[in-house]
Amino acid sequence: MLPTITVDDEKCGGAYLCRRCVLVCPTHVLGLGTSVGVRKYREVDPERFVVRGVRLDKCTGCKDCVEVCPNDAIQVSFS
Amino acid sequence: MCDWCDKYADGYERWYFNPANYARRIYKIRREEVESAGAEANPQAAGGMSVVGREFLEAWDAGDQDKVREMKEKAEAAAWLTHFGQVLTLDEALRICDMIYPIGLMTCACRRSMRALPDEENFVCMGMGPGMYKWERWPDTYRGGMHYLTPDEAKEVITKLNKKGLVQTVATFGTPYLAGLCNCDYPDCAFIRTTIDFGVKALWKGHYVAKVDPDLCTGCARCVARCQFKALNFSPSNNMAYIDQFQCFGCGLCATECDQGAISLVERASLPALANVW
Repeated sequence: MLPTITVDDEKCGGAYLCRRCVLVCPTHVLGLGTSVGVRKYREVDPERFVVRGVRLDKCTGCKDCVEVCPNDAIQVSFS
Repeated sequence: MCDWCDKYADGYERWYFNPANYARRIYKIRREEVESAGAEANPQAAGGMSVVGREFLEAWDAGDQDKVREMKEKAEAAAWLTHFGQVLTLDEALRICDMIYPIGLMTCACRRSMRALPDEENFVCMGMGPGMYKWERWPDTYRGGMHYLTPDEAKEVITKLNKKGLVQTVATFGTPYLAGLCNCDYPDCAFIRTTIDFGVKALWKGHYVAKVDPDLCTGCARCVARCQFKALNFSPSNNMAYIDQFQCFGCGLCATECDQGAISLVERASLPALANVW
């Protein structure tokens, strides 16, 4: 079963510096992406990174990421 | 010889020992990526350096074998044209260091994506060849910056990373031009991960296969922790390491760990059943 992983980027406010959800996930489901795509000169800005589900096939639904987020920015559902 | 050697070795032992494959300008093929948004975020656009997107994962999850095969072939065709890798042994990687210039030590995009590794801890990727001059001209465009290395420094770095347990691979940036010498592991490296998890050949096996000598193996099992490809098992009934040679990618990490010298790398081409298993 694949989850739907939703991240509210506004609530998150800084994926690269926080990174708690990325690190807590036991199966390395989450990853950082660039919200502005691959563009020259824009790759350097750490504030442009956002969290997304990458290895959706490995998500067990443990919700550790949801619990660890200090800003309630991430939701995981299997419905 | 693999398909790439057939096409691009041009008389050299391997395609990655042919200097011509490093000599041209590399170029980054920039896809117009869809900005990820909302619940249906596409891992491919979003990051994780993913080779496959949500649609593939859904087909995989649903067990739709026809769709999976179709998408796999598309993903492979795209990768083989632009950006894919092949496993090297440590010796092959060291030999390449003497061939290429300039050599740049850079941050790894895969690890930044999947582990949010800070730049200071993330210098495990190497760029090779004239394409590296781009970073000299615009040093800010690559996250964390670029450190140029002498061949000896490059060999030192690679040897250290191999000891740590990372697999050496070469990567094309516009096949056949090799510009990446990566130090990979599962599951954060997108090439290893996609290949192992889905059988999408983003990473080709190397030209060697590991073999355990039963007379020398003492059953210490230190090699087992080294395999990033799920090819190494420990058999308690035999008190010995067991290598699935059909799964083995020939990186040699197990061999370099064995104190007894019980693991050796044999040429893939010498084993009839494995000669064309890539």
